[in-house]
Amino acid sequence: MVTSITDDMFTGEAIADPYSYYGKIRDEDPVYWNELYELWVITKHDDLVWMTRNHELFSSEFWARDKRPPYPAIDESDMGLYAYMREFFMDWFIQHDRPVHTDQRKVVHKWFNPKSMEMWRPMVQQVIRDMLDEADQNGKMDVMKDFATPLPLFIIAQMMGMPYQDRQFIRSMAEKLLFIGRGEADRMQPLVDGIKELQDYLAPMVDMHMDLPTDEDNLLSVLTSGGKNGVLTRDEVIADAILLLLAGHETTINLICNGTLAFMQHPEQWQLLKEDTLDSPNAVVRATEECLRYDPPVKSIQRIASEDVELGGKLLKEGDRIRWFISSANRDPDKHPEPDTFDITRWPNTHVAFGSGIHHCLGATLARLEAQEAFKSLAERYDKITLETDEFEYQPSVTFRSLKNLPVSLENAAP
Amino acid sequence: MAKLRISVDHDICVGNRMCETFASKVFVINENGQSEVADPEGDTEENILEAAENCPVSAITVVDEETGETLFP
Repeated sequence: MVTSITDDMFTGEAIADPYSYYGKIRDEDPVYWNELYELWVITKHDDLVWMTRNHELFSSEFWARDKRPPYPAIDESDMGLYAYMREFFMDWFIQHDRPVHTDQRKVVHKWFNPKSMEMWRPMVQQVIRDMLDEADQNGKMDVMKDFATPLPLFIIAQMMGMPYQDRQFIRSMAEKLLFIGRGEADRMQPLVDGIKELQDYLAPMVDMHMDLPTDEDNLLSVLTSGGKNGVLTRDEVIADAILLLLAGHETTINLICNGTLAFMQHPEQWQLLKEDTLDSPNAVVRATEECLRYDPPVKSIQRIASEDVELGGKLLKEGDRIRWFISSANRDPDKHPEPDTFDITRWPNTHVAFGSGIHHCLGATLARLEAQEAFKSLAERYDKITLETDEFEYQPSVTFRSLKNLPVSLENAAP
Repeated sequence: MAKLRISVDHDICVGNRMCETFASKVFVINENGQSEVADPEGDTEENILEAAENCPVSAITVVDEETGETLFP
């Protein structure tokens, strides 16, 4: 039982400050049954990690296995769209358990390993230089629209060999797909529109790669190799291509944006980053980990119980829906001393922003690399970054912690 | 084949279990769901290095026992 809390996760308060909302649940009833959504809400760090490491008990086949009605409720007339959406998401490799998951992940796992990702660092640095040069012309930017969004979008589109001019289209479709984490009853139509348009966009590219020898320098070609050797069907290749495009930039956008905001709201930490970045390459690495902990890009992840399991004195029954909250686990005082303090020297930093276990985020190294370079460049280039707003509006999503915009003015460091 | 000293840093290991899929006799999963070295001679040097390279958080270190050279990272 949690006193005086609504089960609606989309209220203005829960969206604006998930740390208070889920923190209260964590403090009072860490394995909480949300009656409204018929959903277990998991909020403790140790419980989350235990569940990720016991993946055989908590299935990732959420869309294939969930038998309850959609939550939050959708328009009755949209059940056909809901069915289409489910069929699509079932094809994502992350929607599988072992052994299928391992075979499918391995098609692209090497692409994203730390050694491979390091080769992309110079390009990330160059793109950041170009973007900040442009921002300098105006002396201001919207961190969300002018920096945090175009950077990871450029990189993932480049990796997948998408034409340069298609980035705006990709972003528009990604914004439709993000309705997956929203609560509006009419969310199915934009979501399914986004899915269909991206399927139509990618299908010819996938078919082309199917007929060509695998190009190890092109992520879409590498993914398509899984279609050639029978690990993936054609539909699965297309679905995973959409997943890579979407996850390849949306999460990093939020990391850069939320991290920049955290620095602006903690000027002493910003000053520390500026001083320490010059002295030690580790400083920006640790600072990025603290941004990941303090205001993580992904708020929560879904699972479904594969069998009856007891957790925290509660019985989770086979088929029960589960959502674990990274935002709450990362602020768990039993794991992180002074969890609500933004401290960029915190180390070791055992946050779970990328999850854990066999489904640990495939793109974690890329996200880290992009954010490290972004924060480093901001710290080196600017004496002062000033927030040009004191109102912060977030997308009403239970999945993503996503600012709508973040306008700042920029003051260059003396050359 | 060179004798290898292999270690897994448990402060870092997230239990992704990819190492196990590249060299299943070398790396086993303990009760915390983290990787442990069971048999450093359980596979070829090539497979062991591939396992280390594909750890998503670079938790695996491989050292040539005789020369002391760090082979990974």
